[in-house]
Amino acid sequence: MFDRDVWQEIFNTIKTNKLRTFLTGFSVGWAIFILVMLLASVNGMQNGFLGQFNDDATNTIFIRPGTTSKAYGGFEAGRRIQLKNEDLEYVKQSFADDIEYLSARYYANVTARYKSETGSYNVQATHPDHQAIEKTLIMSGRYFNEADLINKAKVVVIGRKVAEDLFKKEDPLGKFVELNNLSFRVIGVFTDDGDDNAERGIYAPVSTYQRIYGNTNNINVIALTYNPTYDLAKALEFSGKLEDVMKRRHKIDPEDQAGLYVWNYAEAFDNISSFTAVLRGIGIGVGFLILVAGIVGIGNIMVFTIKERTKEIGVRKALGARPRQIINLVLLESIFITTLSGFIGLVFAWVILAAVGPMFQTPAFSNPSVNASTVITATIILIVAGVLAGLIPAMKAANVKPIVALSDK
Amino acid sequence: MIEIKDLHKSYKMGSNSLHVLKGINFKVEEGELVAIMGSSGSGKSTLLNILGMLDGADSGEYTLDGVPIKNLSETKAAQYRNKFLGFIFQSFNLINYKSALENVALPLYYQKVPRKERQEKAMQYLEKVGLKPWAHHLPSELSGGQKQRVAIARAMAAEPKVLLADEPTGALDSKTSYEVMDLIQQINDEGNTILVVTHEEDIAHMCKRIVHLKDGVIVEDKKIEQVKAAQYV
Ligand SMILES: Nc1ncnc2c1ncn2[C@@H]1O[C@H](COP(=O)(O)OP(=O)(O)OP(=O)(O)O)[C@@H](O)[C@H]1O
Ligand SMILES: [Mg+2]
Repeated sequence: MFDRDVWQEIFNTIKTNKLRTFLTGFSVGWAIFILVMLLASVNGMQNGFLGQFNDDATNTIFIRPGTTSKAYGGFEAGRRIQLKNEDLEYVKQSFADDIEYLSARYYANVTARYKSETGSYNVQATHPDHQAIEKTLIMSGRYFNEADLINKAKVVVIGRKVAEDLFKKEDPLGKFVELNNLSFRVIGVFTDDGDDNAERGIYAPVSTYQRIYGNTNNINVIALTYNPTYDLAKALEFSGKLEDVMKRRHKIDPEDQAGLYVWNYAEAFDNISSFTAVLRGIGIGVGFLILVAGIVGIGNIMVFTIKERTKEIGVRKALGARPRQIINLVLLESIFITTLSGFIGLVFAWVILAAVGPMFQTPAFSNPSVNASTVITATIILIVAGVLAGLIPAMKAANVKPIVALSDK
Repeated sequence: MIEIKDLHKSYKMGSNSLHVLKGINFKVEEGELVAIMGSSGSGKSTLLNILGMLDGADSGEYTLDGVPIKNLSETKAAQYRNKFLGFIFQSFNLINYKSALENVALPLYYQKVPRKERQEKAMQYLEKVGLKPWAHHLPSELSGGQKQRVAIARAMAAEPKVLLADEPTGALDSKTSYEVMDLIQQINDEGNTILVVTHEEDIAHMCKRIVHLKDGVIVEDKKIEQVKAAQYV
């Protein structure tokens, strides 16, 4: 297919139409330049999103109870679902291999007092594993441990803002803070980069709080991380199974979305992926529309050169060239010109992005770059464009009657 | 080799049509060298085009080497042209950006002969027409006679059964014309069948048979004593 004859042909066309080839080649290169920039920007957005999510453990799943919206298993709709310690145990037993960390959350609103300072805060009473699930960073002191949990110790880990508000300049470690008039010892202070709100929270052992609230075994949320070696598909499969099992346990219709939520970060990733896929599609569409001008231009040059070369095509046919061979020749020529111009645009975009891309490091947009899939996409688009541009000229060429070669008029 | 029966051809031009060939009957045996003569507009080129499968007849029969030529698809016609026919044109019709060698090799390319082999073969034919030293020159660097010799080498390269030449000497001076005719005679002496359209009596007499066309019919068809072109070269 790509022997000397074909290349000679192509270079001859380019040589005899240098300026025209350059101008239309430029419009194709420009279109691809824009397309690659758009795709790189989408990559940058994706990088930004993913960077933000990486702050928390990305293999997290939350199980939150709700109120059923469908009658099921002999129960009316509108039943409130309550999670209990037994549910946590059950999850632990059933999915021992899938789970990395597991913790309950029990929520309470408290008024906290230290000396004359008071404030209203949310307490999350959890298991020690929660530190790993939430990636809670301890600034000083420690998180509570299994022993604290078993002893139902009245200890708390407070956020940096809480420490600032209540303790002012004092070191809170080892001091006692009153939460709803019960005294708790501060054993740690935590921080959360870039999230002041999270730093206005307080962590305590779940067992302690359950005892305070009348020895309840209710819990609000089950939080867990799954085996970090799982890929997206496996993670989604696991959370699906988890949802099925929990719904069965609580006699909730499997289709009832309101009765129980299993919220999976992986799904959010999935959503981001489909969102960026849409953006990428739009980018390709816009790039292609800009490319249309180039396609028309190249088609135009080629119709022109084929008119000029009518005689040559006639001679070739007289010598035994089949219509297919003529069509292939013209299409290859067109694909070559578009692809070459396009790659020049691509290389330009690449160089610019390599130089400028690393400067973008904002949360929503980071390191826009050309990756393999962008190159593949651009190549496919160029070949399609080349075929489209060559289609009309190729048909014109195939329709040349060989008699014109013989008529010496 | 060639047999045509009651061949008719007319060109439609708007509402009226021009009846160019009005029932041609004609037979050419293998190894013949036939001159087709006639005044301008008598239909010589039209006849040659039909023989060359570059155009179709309106009615009549055409058999080439035992194969009936009728209702061919473009692809089939291209195949037959490549296999059966070699063309020599008045204006040479060489491809201007290809060297002499590449021009000669072109029909072999369409026969899907591998590159090395077609270069060797093309070189043999260039040697035969005495242009081996010019193999890598572009047509623009060759004289008219040399161009026509390249064109003859090209027509021969595919080893066709019949060579069709439409006024091969029409653009050449008399000396060069005789050189070209000498070459055509040599090729004919090797057993090739050749049809030459010409206006010139002396060229026609270098063939072995003269067919006269007038107003779309053959008015005369005679075997002649061949004049050897070599004596004028
Ligand atoms: N494609 C065509 N469309 C219409 N008329 C045509 C066409 N080709 C040839 N003719 C007409 O048919 C007649 C025969 O033409 P042809 O070319 O066969 O003549 P010729 O004998 O080769 O003449 P010359 O010696 O000038 O080459 C002419 O009157 C010409 O005008
Ligand atoms: Mg003619």
